[in-house]
Amino acid sequence: MKRYTLITLAGLIVLALALGINAALAAPTTVPTSQASVLHPDFLLLDADGVSVLESGGTVSAMQTCGQCHDTGFIQSHAFHSDLGLSDYSPSSANFDTSNGLFGEWNPLTYRFLSTGNDERLDLSTAEWLMLNGSRVVGGGPAEISRDGQPLIDLKTNKDDPETAILEENGNVTAWNWDESGTIEMNCFLCHLETPNNDARVAAIQSGEFGNATTATLLGLNIVSQTAEDWSYNPEIFNENGEIKNESLGIQDPTNENCAACHGEVHAATEIPLTINACDLDYFQTATTGQVIASQKISESGMNLSNKADLTRSWDIHAQRQLKCTDCHFAPNNPAHVLETQEDNPDHLVYDPRKLEIGEYLERPDHNFARGVSAQFNIAPELKSTMRRCESCHDTNKSHAGWLPYNDRHMQVIACETCHIPEMYAPAFSTMDWTVLRLDGSARSECRGIEGSNTTTDLVTGFQPVLMQREDIIDGKILFAPYNLITSFYWVYEDANGNLRPVRKMDLETVYFDRSNYSADVLSAFDADSDGKLSDEELVLDTEGKQNLIADKLEALGLKNVRIEGQVQPYSINHNVVDSTDATSDCATCHNTDSRVTAPILLADSAPTGVVPEFSQGVNVTPTGSIINNNGSLYYNPVNENDKTYIFGHNRVAWIDWFGALLFVGTVFGVGGHATFRFLAARKLRRPNVATKTVYMYEAYERFWHWLQTAAIVILLLTGLVIHRPDLFGAFSFRNIVTIHNVLAVLLALNALISILWHFISGEIQQYIPHPYGFIDQMIAQAKYYIMGIFKHEPHPFHKSKQRKFNPLQMVTYIGLLGILLPLQGMTGMLMWLVQKVPAIQTWFGGLPFLAPMHTLMAWLFASFIVGHVYLTTTGATPLEAMRGMVTGYEEVEVPVSE
Amino acid sequence: MKNLRLPSWTLGLVGILLLILAPILYFLPRTQTKNDPAAYLPEKPIHVDHADIVQGEFITGQDVTRACLECHENAATELMATTHWTWESKEFDVPWRDEPATIGKANQINNFCIGSQGNENKCMACHAGYGWEEGREVQQANPENVDCLACHADLGVYGKGEFGNPAAGIDLLAAARSVRAPTRDNCGACHFDGGGGNGVKHGDLDESLYFPSNNLDVHMGGELNLLCTDCHWTKDHQILGRLLPDNYTIDPQEQVSCEQCHIDQQHEDERINTHLASVACQTCHIPALALEDPTKVYWDWSQAGQDGREDDHFIYLKIKGEFIYEKNFAPAYLWFNGNNEYRYLLGDPLGKDGITYINKPAGGIDDPSAKVFPFKLHIAKQPYDVVNNYLLQPITAGEGGYWSEFDWDAAFELAEPVVGLDYSGEYGFTTTYMYYPSTHMVQPAENALQCESCHGENGRMDWVTLGYPGDPIEWGGR
Repeated sequence: MKRYTLITLAGLIVLALALGINAALAAPTTVPTSQASVLHPDFLLLDADGVSVLESGGTVSAMQTCGQCHDTGFIQSHAFHSDLGLSDYSPSSANFDTSNGLFGEWNPLTYRFLSTGNDERLDLSTAEWLMLNGSRVVGGGPAEISRDGQPLIDLKTNKDDPETAILEENGNVTAWNWDESGTIEMNCFLCHLETPNNDARVAAIQSGEFGNATTATLLGLNIVSQTAEDWSYNPEIFNENGEIKNESLGIQDPTNENCAACHGEVHAATEIPLTINACDLDYFQTATTGQVIASQKISESGMNLSNKADLTRSWDIHAQRQLKCTDCHFAPNNPAHVLETQEDNPDHLVYDPRKLEIGEYLERPDHNFARGVSAQFNIAPELKSTMRRCESCHDTNKSHAGWLPYNDRHMQVIACETCHIPEMYAPAFSTMDWTVLRLDGSARSECRGIEGSNTTTDLVTGFQPVLMQREDIIDGKILFAPYNLITSFYWVYEDANGNLRPVRKMDLETVYFDRSNYSADVLSAFDADSDGKLSDEELVLDTEGKQNLIADKLEALGLKNVRIEGQVQPYSINHNVVDSTDATSDCATCHNTDSRVTAPILLADSAPTGVVPEFSQGVNVTPTGSIINNNGSLYYNPVNENDKTYIFGHNRVAWIDWFGALLFVGTVFGVGGHATFRFLAARKLRRPNVATKTVYMYEAYERFWHWLQTAAIVILLLTGLVIHRPDLFGAFSFRNIVTIHNVLAVLLALNALISILWHFISGEIQQYIPHPYGFIDQMIAQAKYYIMGIFKHEPHPFHKSKQRKFNPLQMVTYIGLLGILLPLQGMTGMLMWLVQKVPAIQTWFGGLPFLAPMHTLMAWLFASFIVGHVYLTTTGATPLEAMRGMVTGYEEVEVPVSE
Repeated sequence: MKNLRLPSWTLGLVGILLLILAPILYFLPRTQTKNDPAAYLPEKPIHVDHADIVQGEFITGQDVTRACLECHENAATELMATTHWTWESKEFDVPWRDEPATIGKANQINNFCIGSQGNENKCMACHAGYGWEEGREVQQANPENVDCLACHADLGVYGKGEFGNPAAGIDLLAAARSVRAPTRDNCGACHFDGGGGNGVKHGDLDESLYFPSNNLDVHMGGELNLLCTDCHWTKDHQILGRLLPDNYTIDPQEQVSCEQCHIDQQHEDERINTHLASVACQTCHIPALALEDPTKVYWDWSQAGQDGREDDHFIYLKIKGEFIYEKNFAPAYLWFNGNNEYRYLLGDPLGKDGITYINKPAGGIDDPSAKVFPFKLHIAKQPYDVVNNYLLQPITAGEGGYWSEFDWDAAFELAEPVVGLDYSGEYGFTTTYMYYPSTHMVQPAENALQCESCHGENGRMDWVTLGYPGDPIEWGGR
């Protein structure tokens, strides 16, 4: 046994050494190991008729090929990536959106409109839609099936039907022959090959050779080459049974790069510095949000980023930690990933073991992948929020324990992304202005996060997402979450059939261009520097004159009721997560006058005059802020008060602070004036010698209770002030101050409770109970004394003794202070603290936005009271006597004349 | 006494303060206080300037040593107990020999210049002693042969020549007056240039460390600007730290470790900390070797002696053969528990699979004390006795050696009486592996390896060879 172990060990070591030599001799570049599934068998490559392409030499059909083992029919019918909104298609005359997916949902960024059968003017026919969106279409769905469920190739060719027509460049509409072009079947290879040839696939689609798309995906992989007539397959990669050898195709689970083919910038190679094109819609997710999926450190990217050297973290911590897209966006019936919710089970059942076996899953994998609730994607709304979310993996209570006060409260109002995606480092669109055209036919656009347009030569600054209120459609929680806002402007018109439609790009070109340049009237209206060219700065409809010029020209084309509309689209940001080291953790980021929560975001540097864009409807983001026009630039200004939130240190009610400050200052001046008069009076009129005697006035406990309360209240006021105005007291740690405030509040409450007990037990409570008879008169007498008598050194109207320590005014003040103000202040404070544990409190009398200002108001009252209280202690036998009494217990009191 | 009594209310005051402070201190969010590694650096006394103390006249190195010993009476005996003097380890019981064995440059071979025996005229330029022309026994016995200047003199005025003696033309008085605590220069003169030139041997020690940037070595180049002796703590001339190839097992007490200064210094990231059980600090913090100056990774002695081939330090030398130098490359990763599993001893048979290990680090996935550790692997083709099946040590630099005569047979025959191994008259060249643990050129945290460096598709670890079923991120750790 031992010998075997030794031999095995030695063998392993020899192996290790043999590999070690490679490490030492070869360059440090490592060869990516093939991820091809070792279990996947060799298989026949079939054409659409189910015949091996080796025999037929035809185009490959993935549906037939993969369908030999996998239920491709099931897969296609359970794949919103294939459907793209087709099943939801329902045209409307008032709404641009005819579905909730890429096929039909109008996006002002890509602008072109998928024409309905009822439209007067053809913009995008189905065929041209496919060519335009080829890079984002996997096939099946609208690429094969008509809007009413017929196979496209069965449609009768009719140039008046947008499904069988195409808009030529010259503006003529001609028929589209699907038999000739073929259709695009769902392309399994695009996502399940290690290196699918997406460029060739897209090229085939863009040239209208739809039927070749799948086979083109295999070009350049030593599998198939295109001959003039047909396809020629490399016999060497097929086995003796005519099956393609699995290793030569490399069937695998989709990797991040597969997803990237359609979605955005993914960078797996760690050795090659990442570079990206700023605001390139071919990388849709990156262009719209700045999200980049890469494990590479930002500092090692090839971008010209400001402060790049300090950004030694990776673009995305999950990419760094080797998570794959499919880890969170999994196939919902994948037994390895399935999320089990307790609600699905009877109460007593913790786990239901009846799961799909892996083989059953592989036969019919559900391709309706788990997804989130991004504002920008509305397809398959029934699947929103089915994915693995932050809290599916992370326990926020544990990860934030020990340093984040009010963890629960923060989680009630702030999405994880808000602090964990503090900044985007890739540029993203801010504005897309289709009311004007650049000479190359594109819209005037603005890109945020970069000074210029080239990420390697111009300075990339990155940008801070704006925080918006995101409603979760599952749990209903409304949280602050980060978004990029893209503002679009575009012309709309009403066509002869009464449909409201975006003005066709073709019509815009007719209006703006005269052959290869701007038309003369456009040039004369726009070209401010008369250089014969229109820069982006000049290319803005910033006067009514320019707008009228274009509108008139459009109407001359027969468009009715032409006008400009603007739309603000929120784009969710959920990737590019940073770990705790780089997350926002400074309280002052939000708890400050300039709060992160209300940081505005630029909507458009320049915009068509007079157009106020509207937020997209039907998304789970509520714009509660306001759009501000600042010298022609539009900004979105979040207003958190509208969200029923109260951010300590940021939100303040102005009148309360004014009232409180005036009261406080008034009290200071009041007692100051009173003291001055007393001082002047004392100089004029010598104080008569009054007999005094020493009285044991305050029991030890009374003094202890009083001073503990004093210290607690003073510290609470000071720490409260820091929490209220952290901008003035930046030297203090907000976190620590909040803790001290809470600790002292509990101490104050305990002290109060115990003292109440003591007062009842000792009977001292009687000190606070006025004898009703003549009490008002007595109060008046005491007030008179303070107003008049004190200046004349009249004796106190009420003798202070151990049995009766308070004069009538004192008594009512203390009843008010200790009996009403202190409990109220304690209640409001406690409720504010409790909101984190009992969120329902937010719905009681206005929640924090009511409780917090009340707490502030009462704090001002306390502060003012202390001033008056301290001053009045100087009205005893000698100015410091009362204070001495409260310290030592013994006080010299005047002997009443009667004695 | 009574007058000193504080009024009773002060008791109340103290009570109130305690009542307020105690809960605040208890509840305040705690920021972990970290041990400052710099606090554990050795304190060094200011060295007395010897310029006015040392009086000449010095003819030989031994004259200088005698002068030193007048005041530093124990210095020579202390040094003579160290491997800097003996060039030989303590005795090890090794399982493949009946007799205990010692290992060191004095009596064993490596796969660079092979062996020092008989080549003392050159090799001993790096020995901390004089007088090797007298032979090992005589040299080692005499305390006056201790070369104080090698480690204590300013190398601007001192240098070593043949047989460990001062180089010709050295002003020994000036050298002796320049003495101070050893600097990087003193250590570097031998350790940076080991194997016959800058950076040849180690991969993590070379002349770039004389003036390193923070990104070359965070310790020596960072704000602390550490010297060798800041980590290689020295007491009574015993310098902490042992070289793996010159030992069989190494007592952790004798070895330098990161934990000397980085005490309980964990990463903020829990996930990284879970790595500490099976990954050495060096593995992540030394992502590449020979960052600035190249190091030798391959040496083919069999190509030596060709006439008409151009000599180039980095490609070919007639006296030494062919080389490959590499720069900024990933180390080899092995399980390592601090010891050798095997160290070739003179006379040991060659390895059975065509590779003979000069040393083989010990450890495996099942050894809880082992961690994955970075090594510089040096591969050589070096001479062996075809009949006797053991590695040969030629006389190279010594008189009549290979470097002057280019006659292998003569070089082995000359070596027979010196090394004590029979030479059958038939030699060949065989592949040998030698592993140097990498532990210098430590990188700042931001340059350390990241998850994807080892895990995922492009990772540098060969998990299966290390004994894992697959990437532990998916298959689990040990």
